[in-house]
Amino acid sequence: MQIHFEQAGASFEGRVAVEPLTLSLTERRIGIIGLNGSGKTTFARMINGLVKPTQGRVTVDGFDSASDGETVRAKVGFIFQNPQNQIILPILHEDIALGLKNRRLPRHAVDAAVDGILRRFGIERLSGRRVHELSGGELQLAALASVLVTEPEVVILDEPTNQLDLRNRALVEKTVHGLDEMAIVISHDLDLIRDFDRVLLFHEGRLAADDAPSQVIARYRELAA
Amino acid sequence: MNTLYVTGNSLLHRLSARAKLIALAATGIALIVLASPLLLGISTLAALALYASVGIGWRQSWLRLRPVFVTIFVVAIFALLVNSPEEAAVTLLRLTTLVLLAAAVTATTGIGEFVDEITLAARPLERLGLVRASDIGLAVGLVIRFVPEVLGRYQAIRDAHEARGLKARPLTLAVPLIILTLKNADDIAAAIDARGIRGHKPARRSKER
Repeated sequence: MQIHFEQAGASFEGRVAVEPLTLSLTERRIGIIGLNGSGKTTFARMINGLVKPTQGRVTVDGFDSASDGETVRAKVGFIFQNPQNQIILPILHEDIALGLKNRRLPRHAVDAAVDGILRRFGIERLSGRRVHELSGGELQLAALASVLVTEPEVVILDEPTNQLDLRNRALVEKTVHGLDEMAIVISHDLDLIRDFDRVLLFHEGRLAADDAPSQVIARYRELAA
Repeated sequence: MNTLYVTGNSLLHRLSARAKLIALAATGIALIVLASPLLLGISTLAALALYASVGIGWRQSWLRLRPVFVTIFVVAIFALLVNSPEEAAVTLLRLTTLVLLAAAVTATTGIGEFVDEITLAARPLERLGLVRASDIGLAVGLVIRFVPEVLGRYQAIRDAHEARGLKARPLTLAVPLIILTLKNADDIAAAIDARGIRGHKPARRSKER
């Protein structure tokens, strides 16, 4: 799996959110850090075409995220900062099954896939529960399950440990580290990305550092001071 | 996120979504044809019994149905002003019966089941190349899903007014409600895209790799 940015940048109403940059992402675990409003989320959303580049292009395994958006989104799942916004239907089982509806699978195959993904995250007991009854950690796992049931090759998580208590944070951290898929994690939680293969630092819309976690985190501390 | 679905094991819960939707459509047609206040009165009582069997509870039922009943009452008053009392009674009973039956079906059918059935019903239109059936199913499912969401948001805005000692006026309620609902719709659209729920078209690989 290769994600490639080719002089790709994004602007909104004349304001530059991400300055044009060229890079390739192939590592299994990639972290993205930076201050609020630094362009992290915009950069990540450009990967799967939720934000279309206003300059240059972004490709995922050769597919253009702007013109082949639906194909790219089938390869790259995205988990929002607020998992509540990710869940579309109120009952967990129904919501996860929704991602498989347009594949025209027989009902038993859909049920088996949903049960399988819930089991994978150890939340099968939540299958029939209403989403608004779930805890923060359960909700984050539910959002992850809803995306991974469609078997994307890459998953992007936007601040997955945001607003979680210590127990739920540990649960999400363990899950993220155990993912088989390539994971790109936007986070202010530096402990979460400390062991990653590569970390990108964004500052005022520019890629300010791109290296191993220890170097990039040190640079981030300098910028934030 | 709230839902109109009520967990239970009543007769209606056990019936398939398809059977319920077909029966609801057929009953709706029959109610339009029926013009006897006596028969419509019996139908209303039967619908009330069916609704009660779902097990929602009277207080919760009243909260759910109050806005629709107020609307029906207004329509009936208008009918009384322009038509005979008998015709007003027919309007009142017909609409009340329909609402009770529709509410009973909604309370006993998961949104996923609605999506499946509507998608199936729209397949012939897809074969004619007019629509994508799964889009129609999803749209109907989202409408049902949004009803309690909008009501909950309305209540939250009212509470916010009270908490700040402000008098709730139609304009100060409607504007934030519309903005928040549109924002919510945007979030849902982004989630549908992010999760690839609308599927993907066959695509070509970029020539420049």
